[in-house]
Amino acid sequence: MKNLKKLLALVLAGAMALTFAACGAKTETETAKTETETKTEQSDLEYIKEKGKLVIGITDFEPMDYKDADGNWIGFDADMAKAFAKSLGVEAEFVEIEWSNKVLELNGKSIDCVWNGMTLTPEVTSAMDCTKAYCNNQQVVVVPVDKADSYKTAESCKELSFAVEEGSAGEDMAKENSFNYTAVKDQATAVMEVASGTSDAAIIDSLMAAAMVGEGTGYESLTYTVGLNSEEYGVGFRKGSDLTEKLNEFFEAAKANGELEKTAEKYGVQAALVK
Amino acid sequence: MQFIESIRHLVGTIIEQFPIVFPALNEGFLQTLKLFVITLVGALPLGLIISFGSMAKFKPISLITRVLVWIVRGSPLMLQLMIIYYLPGLVGRNIWGGGEQGRFIAACIAFILNYACYFSEIYRGGIQGVPVGQQEAGQVLGMTKKQVFFKVTLLQMVKRIVPPMSNEIITLVKDTSLARIIALQEVIWAGSAFMKSSHGIQGQIWPLFFTGVYYLAFCGILTLLFGYIERKLSYFE
Repeated sequence: MKNLKKLLALVLAGAMALTFAACGAKTETETAKTETETKTEQSDLEYIKEKGKLVIGITDFEPMDYKDADGNWIGFDADMAKAFAKSLGVEAEFVEIEWSNKVLELNGKSIDCVWNGMTLTPEVTSAMDCTKAYCNNQQVVVVPVDKADSYKTAESCKELSFAVEEGSAGEDMAKENSFNYTAVKDQATAVMEVASGTSDAAIIDSLMAAAMVGEGTGYESLTYTVGLNSEEYGVGFRKGSDLTEKLNEFFEAAKANGELEKTAEKYGVQAALVK
Repeated sequence: MQFIESIRHLVGTIIEQFPIVFPALNEGFLQTLKLFVITLVGALPLGLIISFGSMAKFKPISLITRVLVWIVRGSPLMLQLMIIYYLPGLVGRNIWGGGEQGRFIAACIAFILNYACYFSEIYRGGIQGVPVGQQEAGQVLGMTKKQVFFKVTLLQMVKRIVPPMSNEIITLVKDTSLARIIALQEVIWAGSAFMKSSHGIQGQIWPLFFTGVYYLAFCGILTLLFGYIERKLSYFE
């Protein structure tokens, strides 16, 4: 019994030491972060090449990133990402993330880029190193079909209560137009709010609205009306990454040889391409 | 009338989509189950060790253990998941990798640590709840301290802790859904994927609601199991 106790004491002491080490590290997060930013370490490109793979953070978002019948990731973004990884001589690995954690995922190095029809908002461009825009997008208002006729302008929407994705471009639009809104977890939840009547309308990406609401979807009673703005999609890397420039070059080359156009046509997004 | 019509429409949709949705949800539920089983396997013994720590006569150990239990029980599991998964990468090197396996391991560690701390308090209550007279009787009979613990205290502790443990274990079943914050693709994740688009189905809410059936069925089985165990342990009465 005595020996057992001693052993236990040892094990517990070890566990405690670990816990305290972790606690200590927590308070140093901020300083460590600034250090890594200033330190001239291994560049991102070298890091990727050493790993042999580019980890791409995505959400299931048709037609940009989604799974085919065999469970492989396809879509306009996914196909371009595969081609980009190939040009670097590394493998492309797709990982589904919680969208609101994208900056955390990137800085925590669990992913290497966010390539998922990401709107270039000031929040995004200040937290990530972003490529030039490759696709145009719009934030649109989703309303029930029977009300659609009364809400054709942003001005008329002022009397509605909105649901928007927290931290999204849609939320920025709601603020800009001083709409009365509730921030919810994601765009799908925002649409569900409208369908269940807990909100009058939602603001989501036009590409997503086209896939989610209207004929042939689960939300046949909904439609989208007003386009509130025009905005652009880009790919995000870690701050200071040399991959951003690499991808800009890759996009230029793909535009020149027609690969970008061809891939876009395959997924029906050619009209949205940045010319 | 409109209500009946929309119900009919919904039932039709469910029947049509069920063959696609069901396997996808099963896959998600398998992740839920794996996390549940691994957490139990890790947390049940670790909880006993922690309970010994918090009952130790040597003050520093019991103090440190109690502080650990306070930290783990006093902060949200969702926060613990995010700290365990993201912090290593933020302060230095990401030890988990970005793939599904790394996320799963990180989730297991967070759940084991969290549940071990809850279990430890249940164990402590069970052990301290055994009347002192029982231990004294063992000593009078000439048993060693070790024999008293394993043959007298532990035995009675086990039957005392079954109701609170079953409560905690059933909570664990549902808590596994928190792991989706680090993008572990368990059954709720699989269900809500259909709200956007997954497996060629767009904008459907019913698969998410349907995941409740999995939890209900599984908790039902567990409840029956715990009832059985309680009956089996009802000797001495």
